[in-house]
Amino acid sequence: MNGHLQADELLMIVAIACYVFGALALLVYFFSREAWLRNLGAPLAIVGCVAQFAQLVVRYELTGIWPLLNLYGSLSLFAAMSVAIFIGFAWRYKLWFAGGFVLALAAISLAYGVTWNEGTMPAVPSLQSYWAKIHVPIVVSSYAAFLVAFVFSVIYLIKYYAEERIAAASGAVELAGTGMTMQVRGDTPALEAAAAAGNPLAVWLQTLPPLAQLDVIVYRAVAIGLPLISIGIITGAAWAKEAWGAYWQWDPKETAALSTWIVYLAYMHLHTRNAWRGLRTNWISVVGFMVVIFTYLGVNIWISGLHSYKM
Amino acid sequence: MVQRLDNYYADFVRTFGNVLFAVSLFVVWGILTLIGVIVDQGKDPSIYFGSYPAPIARAILRLSFDNIYHSPWYIGVIGLILTSLTVCTFKRVIPARMPPLRPVKIDKIPLNMSLEVAGDEPTVRARVEEFFRKRGWQIRKREFNGTEWTFADKHNWARRGVLVAHIGFVIIAAGTTLYWARGFSGDTAVVTGQSVQIPETKAILHLNNFAYTITPVLTKGGMVYQPTDYVSHVTVTGNDGVPKAMTVRVNHPIDVDHTLYYQATYGFAMRFHVTHEGKDVPSFSQRVVLEGDNFDIPGTRLTVTYDRFVPTVDRASGMPSADPRVNDPAVILSVAEGGTPSGTAIVPLHTWVDLGGGWRIVPQSYLLYSGFQYRYDPGIPLVGIGALVLVTGLLISFYFLPARLYARVDPAPNGRCTVGVAATTVKGYDMFETQFRGLVSELTAEAT
Repeated sequence: MNGHLQADELLMIVAIACYVFGALALLVYFFSREAWLRNLGAPLAIVGCVAQFAQLVVRYELTGIWPLLNLYGSLSLFAAMSVAIFIGFAWRYKLWFAGGFVLALAAISLAYGVTWNEGTMPAVPSLQSYWAKIHVPIVVSSYAAFLVAFVFSVIYLIKYYAEERIAAASGAVELAGTGMTMQVRGDTPALEAAAAAGNPLAVWLQTLPPLAQLDVIVYRAVAIGLPLISIGIITGAAWAKEAWGAYWQWDPKETAALSTWIVYLAYMHLHTRNAWRGLRTNWISVVGFMVVIFTYLGVNIWISGLHSYKM
Repeated sequence: MVQRLDNYYADFVRTFGNVLFAVSLFVVWGILTLIGVIVDQGKDPSIYFGSYPAPIARAILRLSFDNIYHSPWYIGVIGLILTSLTVCTFKRVIPARMPPLRPVKIDKIPLNMSLEVAGDEPTVRARVEEFFRKRGWQIRKREFNGTEWTFADKHNWARRGVLVAHIGFVIIAAGTTLYWARGFSGDTAVVTGQSVQIPETKAILHLNNFAYTITPVLTKGGMVYQPTDYVSHVTVTGNDGVPKAMTVRVNHPIDVDHTLYYQATYGFAMRFHVTHEGKDVPSFSQRVVLEGDNFDIPGTRLTVTYDRFVPTVDRASGMPSADPRVNDPAVILSVAEGGTPSGTAIVPLHTWVDLGGGWRIVPQSYLLYSGFQYRYDPGIPLVGIGALVLVTGLLISFYFLPARLYARVDPAPNGRCTVGVAATTVKGYDMFETQFRGLVSELTAEAT
């Protein structure tokens, strides 16, 4: 048993180490675009992610207790799913440059989760349900998708404001941040002109995808997260119905999850509007992730309720 | 008059059919919901005055933020959202169609391409159509002012995704309304060996016994006493009049005549031995008192409340121990005189507390009781269907992109033709850019 637990901890150490070194490599890659850094960071991300899933499986095998019933376990899945979703995006859309941020956040959440590891505990009666194997992974995966959306929104905003600054410095007309034609045709003329003139910031900004593509990536990540959180809320309601007799108890966790859902629902509705798509919707994505953090950690830690399963 | 009504109606539809108005309602809904998360709900006013500065506590109470989810603001916002959803469904979602088949200026659409291909016009057009058809595009042709246009659509049906999601909401709302109109719920506590009758169903619930399991676990932070099982063994007599033995656990409700019974709480009922001037007062000794209940001492202004059961008293400190298992039990009693609290004491079982005036109370014995919630909800199937429809609608909306291609073939010199293609989607051009580029490169490779 003890030896097995050491294997569990070893896998966790491997995951954190991979994330930390992978984050460093990909963060430097974000600025330098040296291909070897990407070739180093990407496998580290994959190995770390695999190690983490393996750690969760090993923990379950050892204890027979579903490992996601406490903050340690769920943060572990959150980090693993964030990296897994990111790897999927990076693989498909060639987005490894953003991996440093995702891996850094994964490492932070994992390290924070470890501080909540009190060892193995049997589940309280309300958590002894097959719904725990459905509801918890779905909700945590939705949070992970929102993390990926958040990272690309931040990159979008960095690029947007940097482009705006370059446009202002070059005396160009106001940046048409949400102009459709500009978006599909790539970067702004001001950015292209500044890059051609050798402006190092402009040259670096051009290594990032055009704003419109970043916006689409954020949309795609939210399009994963929103259905997942919708299903998560529905399965949570079904579980609550089975455990407590009512779909909805106005428990702080339920209502905070509802707030998260509302924010991303607003995002999706506003994304249909040309005037709102781009800068504003990306700010909403950032705010949405703040609400996710409040829902996920703030409510668990600071507010007691039916979902207070910290340990 | 009719004109004025028409204007009001037009204003109403314009406002409630506006997406930004709907999003504004979402924002208000979200903020009110978050207030409900942050501010404790349903507490005594003194709690708010103890937790917040007086002006904020007063604002919380005056604005009903202490019971926000049932406040007029909250219900009103949800009502406005449902109204907006309905208007949007009829004004925007249902009428929305792909743009009618009509000619466009291809080079004015951001997603466009043109290439020269060898061959005569009908042959090239046929090849272009075949190219799209092979990739799952639905082809339609129209002639405008002597020019033939080819229109190719994909996932046009997916435009109904938003409508499906909205319908899901409506079905869920119908299901919950059905519960509100015809369902009922309640809770009851049954002491071991006793029975209760449920007022709404007339079912009789007899508690044979209740058991709980507490597992001590040594964690890195110290000993934790983890509850791992609550189980009630009951005999239930439903409409058929036949008593049936059943077991209720958390997450495993029992169904009696379509009413579900849930394991909710448990506690310790007490029998107290009360004496006056050393003589037994039998009316008290036969009474079973639940936690939180109180009783008056006859001929005095004293009221005794049985606050709660203490499973184990720490003998060193005289205070309740962290161990919730029953080893050395006691009760916490509060005494009030004329409504004014006059004292609280931890009284171990079989010891006594003197109330004055010759009155003495001895906690004699305890009995476990089990708390049940019961609920009859005829809306469950509708809510389930609604949830399924809602998720289906969301998935359709997010994962199927309705797109249209406009293609025309024009003759060019030297036996060649110019093929122009443009694309539009319902979610803007960016969303389709990568696919369009892929399509263009394939078309270019195949056609040239």
